[in-house]
Amino acid sequence: MKAFRILLKNEGKLSIRGLDMFIFAICMPVVVTILIVIILGDKPAAEGSPYTFFEQSFGAVSTIAICAGGVMGLPLLISDYRHRKILKRFQVTPAHPVLLLGVHAAIYALYSLASLVLITVISVLFFNFRMPGSWLSFLGAYLLVMFSMFSIGFLVGGLAPDSKTAGMIASLLYFPMLIFSGATLPYEIMPVGMQKAVDFMPLTQGIALLKTAALGVPFENSYKAAAVIIVIGVICTGLSISFFKWE
Amino acid sequence: MSPAIEVIHLTKTYKTNHSPAVADLNLTVETGEIFGLLGPNGAGKSTTLECILGTRKADSGTVSVLGLNPKSQRRKLYEEVGVQFQEGSYQDRITVKEICEETECLYKTYDDYRLLLEKFNLSHKLTSPVNELSGGERQRLSIILALIPRPKLVFLDELTTGLDTYARKEVWEILKELKKQGLTIFLTSHFMDEIEILCDRIGILKIGNLIFTGTVEEAKKVSGQESLENAYLWFTGELKEELEHESI
Repeated sequence: MKAFRILLKNEGKLSIRGLDMFIFAICMPVVVTILIVIILGDKPAAEGSPYTFFEQSFGAVSTIAICAGGVMGLPLLISDYRHRKILKRFQVTPAHPVLLLGVHAAIYALYSLASLVLITVISVLFFNFRMPGSWLSFLGAYLLVMFSMFSIGFLVGGLAPDSKTAGMIASLLYFPMLIFSGATLPYEIMPVGMQKAVDFMPLTQGIALLKTAALGVPFENSYKAAAVIIVIGVICTGLSISFFKWE
Repeated sequence: MSPAIEVIHLTKTYKTNHSPAVADLNLTVETGEIFGLLGPNGAGKSTTLECILGTRKADSGTVSVLGLNPKSQRRKLYEEVGVQFQEGSYQDRITVKEICEETECLYKTYDDYRLLLEKFNLSHKLTSPVNELSGGERQRLSIILALIPRPKLVFLDELTTGLDTYARKEVWEILKELKKQGLTIFLTSHFMDEIEILCDRIGILKIGNLIFTGTVEEAKKVSGQESLENAYLWFTGELKEELEHESI
């Protein structure tokens, strides 16, 4: 536990010094929140809908930080640590691989939670936001989406042969998911054909689940989405642990 | 007492090469001795070291370090073994203090890194980023990190490369002191003066074969050379070329 605490403190400091997560996980969700509120915020989510557009989009925007940390941050970090033989240095210590990976998962989880708190505070204070659904189930869904997205990151970071490939795969996952899964560009304004195509992305399912929780829609509508992200999370976590390599 | 390191019939061939990088290597390092592994670049020093450490998988043969299997008993073994790699690589923007803390926290028993920094004359760099240290300072830091777990055995790869004369002598003194306290040291080096001063026994590798093991004196005697440098060149087959080169 002491090792986890010290590594979390020091690796966390290094991450903050790096600044990129600050930009992509903290600043970007705030900017997108403000833009959605200004452009579409007060309009109803659909004609005759009891929710405003922003109420419906809140869950989607909250995943921007998860996506940045899980699909971009984690793969790049793991492959970079491996490429530069930092993992090899850990290999000749008593450290368990899960310790170091767990520390970094915790750092990205903290970024995501910080981002969630920040956009919530901004929305509540400045845009009079009230979540129609339950915060508790929203938080549960949020953690589930995090688990699933981080596991994808671990898998990419773990299996990519080098940091260049990891960077390429991360970009291929990150940008389409960020733009098309509904995290930034709202799902609801996409044409139906496009919606069907983007339904294949795990984050689209995650966002569907978050929306259900945020709007207080009966959970029965999201069984499929929940199942998809849980299965992805379990499979990717299992694969990345069994195929983990230090070098 | 059982040997600190025992390597039996170690063989490793890389996919890209037909001839083995290390062929049927047998090696024993006794507890409490300083053993130096020598050999030209490409002779198989790194491969041997990595197979002993368990960071690389050998094709055949067995390796036992402190009586443990470095692959299957890795976590237990590395409570008692420190390793300094040739090119120590560190996280971006990490400071000396942070890397020392991160290393210390991984062990059950450890020495106070502040005392080690003092011993190696690095205390004033405590808050400096590691990548702003000079070559010599980085090298000393990597030795400190290997010593933090209060090891019974340390592996030092290219021990004093990049250090100036004074710093090298300082490191030698510290290592001799640690040896007196019972530390076993396995090192690789290209400096014959260092080998001669520090090592109880040496092993010389040539194209994947361990062609000599014994004391420095024995190496000189077998080769019929007066200096270790010439003895080494005689073993690796480079002596003649060297002399011819000099006469030109």
